[in-house]
Amino acid sequence: MKKFFLLALTLFSFQAYAIDDPSALIRELNKKFSQVNDYTAHIRMTFDIPGVRMNAMNGKVFFKRPDRFRIRTKGIFFLPKQNPLQNMSAMLLDTSSYTSIISGYEVVKGKKCAIVNIIPLRNSIDLVLGKFWIDVAHPLVMKTQITTKNNGTIETENVYASNSTYTLPDQIIIRLETKKIKISKMMAADLNKKSKDTSNDNKLETGTIILSFSDYKINTKFADSEFDKAE
Amino acid sequence: MNEFLAILKNELIKTIRRPRSYIGFGVIAFICLMLQGAFYQDGKELLSTVTAQFDNIFNVQGNILNGNLICYIVLQTLIVQMPMLVAFVTGDQVSGETSTGSIRFLLTTPASRTKIVVAKWLSGLVYTLFLLLVLGIFALFVSRAIFGVGDLMAMNSEGLTIIRADDINWRWGFAFLIAFLSLSVVASLSTLLSCIMDNSITPIVTVMAIIIIFTIIGMFDMKSFDVIKPFLFTTHMISWRSLFEDPLPVDNIVASCAILFLHVVIFLGAAIFYFKRKDITN
Amino acid sequence: MSSAILLEHVTKNFNDFIAVNALNFEVKAGDIYGFLGPNGSGKSTTLRMIMALIKPTSGSIKLFGESLGENRSEIMRKVGCIIEKPDFYGYLSAKENMKLFARAHLLNYSAAQYDALFSLVGLKGRENDKVKTFSHGMKQRLGIAQALIHDPELIILDEPNTGLDPQGIIDLRNLILTLNKERGKTILFSSHILSEVQEICSNMVVINKGKVVVQGGVSELLSQENLTVKLEVVNPVEASVVLQQSNWAGMMESQDETLFVFNMGKAEIPAMIDYLSQHHIGIERIDYRNQLEDYFLKITNA
Repeated sequence: MKKFFLLALTLFSFQAYAIDDPSALIRELNKKFSQVNDYTAHIRMTFDIPGVRMNAMNGKVFFKRPDRFRIRTKGIFFLPKQNPLQNMSAMLLDTSSYTSIISGYEVVKGKKCAIVNIIPLRNSIDLVLGKFWIDVAHPLVMKTQITTKNNGTIETENVYASNSTYTLPDQIIIRLETKKIKISKMMAADLNKKSKDTSNDNKLETGTIILSFSDYKINTKFADSEFDKAE
Repeated sequence: MNEFLAILKNELIKTIRRPRSYIGFGVIAFICLMLQGAFYQDGKELLSTVTAQFDNIFNVQGNILNGNLICYIVLQTLIVQMPMLVAFVTGDQVSGETSTGSIRFLLTTPASRTKIVVAKWLSGLVYTLFLLLVLGIFALFVSRAIFGVGDLMAMNSEGLTIIRADDINWRWGFAFLIAFLSLSVVASLSTLLSCIMDNSITPIVTVMAIIIIFTIIGMFDMKSFDVIKPFLFTTHMISWRSLFEDPLPVDNIVASCAILFLHVVIFLGAAIFYFKRKDITN
Repeated sequence: MSSAILLEHVTKNFNDFIAVNALNFEVKAGDIYGFLGPNGSGKSTTLRMIMALIKPTSGSIKLFGESLGENRSEIMRKVGCIIEKPDFYGYLSAKENMKLFARAHLLNYSAAQYDALFSLVGLKGRENDKVKTFSHGMKQRLGIAQALIHDPELIILDEPNTGLDPQGIIDLRNLILTLNKERGKTILFSSHILSEVQEICSNMVVINKGKVVVQGGVSELLSQENLTVKLEVVNPVEASVVLQQSNWAGMMESQDETLFVFNMGKAEIPAMIDYLSQHHIGIERIDYRNQLEDYFLKITNA
């Protein structure tokens, strides 16, 4: 989780200095990210996960470099577990483990983006393919698509507003493929429900998690104890 | 004192003083404490059977194993036991007295038979209310004391519904009210059978047999059973669970409550009708 | 004297079985009325109908001149009863049981009143004991207390002597007589033992197989003027000749070898014995019964 956000922030710090050279883009993004030592923000999470009904919930995000991270809330929430961005982060730092190429350009939300493909050089890595849509005019990752061996494909879409200079998004929309979560009737003790057509239950569906950030407080040097406090 | 209140007081005294009345409280306390102990020891492992299917995809954050979830599971577990405990006392109220003969004294007082049946039925409902109160204390408050308060991860065959902790107390309140209405159906059915039968065991066994058969029909996902299910009161007895759905299926809940209430009226009406005409030959 | 109980053509069928068949009888207020019949004769069914525990198939039951079907609640305020064996709530004490009945009659008994009630039925000192520890006789006494708790005008006692020890039977008899004579209570007393009825009742009805056999004043029905006398002799041939020539020839009902049966008054018996002695007729045995007693013995044995 923590690494997910760390990596997200890393990626959002790309700068578009060398739009034809993916390595240079990655380097610039890392440099951009280094401006942020810590931050807190209010987070609102909304969920649309197949087989899970849950209301949106609010919380507070705490981040400190290099990788301390926590979302403090009162309740239960779901986030992608084997975060492909986390693996990607390690891989990006280890430039010998992957190769990056620009596979094309695409306009995302009115911005011209380079599509940077990250291809692992070793089979042992979970990542199969990573795609980053990077705004070439400003070093921001607008969109990602990460495919891993274990977790299928996860897509993120980033929306920037007030803190784009720090590459901190105001909204991240995560889309992932999952089977509908279902509980056996016996386990759920859900008697007397009418029988249903279950033929589509194993089909992969798309789940969406939207993380909206506000009230960013950047580089305030908050105490480490904030990470351990109970809500 | 009003004649009806006098005989109601008599019925309540009899219920309070009968040793069998306390078996139910003991069973509830035992089951709750047993389940709480088991969840305290192995709860995470047990929960992993639910979370296993999305463990690879999602990281579930927060205190899942909290008092609200334990209460939800306890209530589901007691789906068969609670009616049995209610029937154990209410099924004996008329037939027990018929078999021992004390009904003769009762029926030679000035109180009408209708008042006597209604008083017995009401005292059964008061007992049921206390059973639920004890259940609420043990299942909800003791669980919360042990496991803490948190969002409820309600499990049903449709999937999971997360109910926020700050949105749950009113749901529990209504859930217990619906559970009370459901158990009132059992109490009313027991009273009816108790009026018909002359020994104390048969009504209890019959009520349980009916509930078990209806529950089994409800458990099977078979198209042919779907036709019957809406007409079984057991279908509506678990509508307390609907309080933990999102969005709240208000229409279904209201319909289920209306059907349960109708059952209460029919069973009680039939009990009065039968008892008024019954010859006491024992 | 007004009518306390009036049964007119009361019939009760249980499916095809006729338990009570067109029963008519009347109990006058202030009377001690015996209700006699062998086991299974329909006594309890009749008493249950009078107490509204069983609905009659047809006929009318009136208590204090009012229809039982229409005024049950009002009538029951004036009636106390023990129907068959008294069954109480075993898990409650005798006093707690009585409190239930007092409350059901909307009575607010004082401690002194409970003391008096338990003294009356001989249970003083045991009132706080659980009823499940009571013997049948004690329960019977408690049953009487229950029947009297609301000071009813009419008391219906269905075989109340059952389970009582001899002293208990005497106590109950005295209690019934006291209630009747000093407090003017009307009492309907059922039994399958004629002597019990004979000792305390002024009127009685005998039923068998759901039908009235006989009813009337006890003194008339059990009159000593109308006895069945059974005479057993050693020499029946001579006895037959002698008796045919005597004043009692017309009273002879039958002869079966050594046994002669007469219908005569009690006063005739000594004279007949003298007469037979004078004619050297050896008497093996002689006994006599009232005809009703005789009939009752037959149906009871049957």
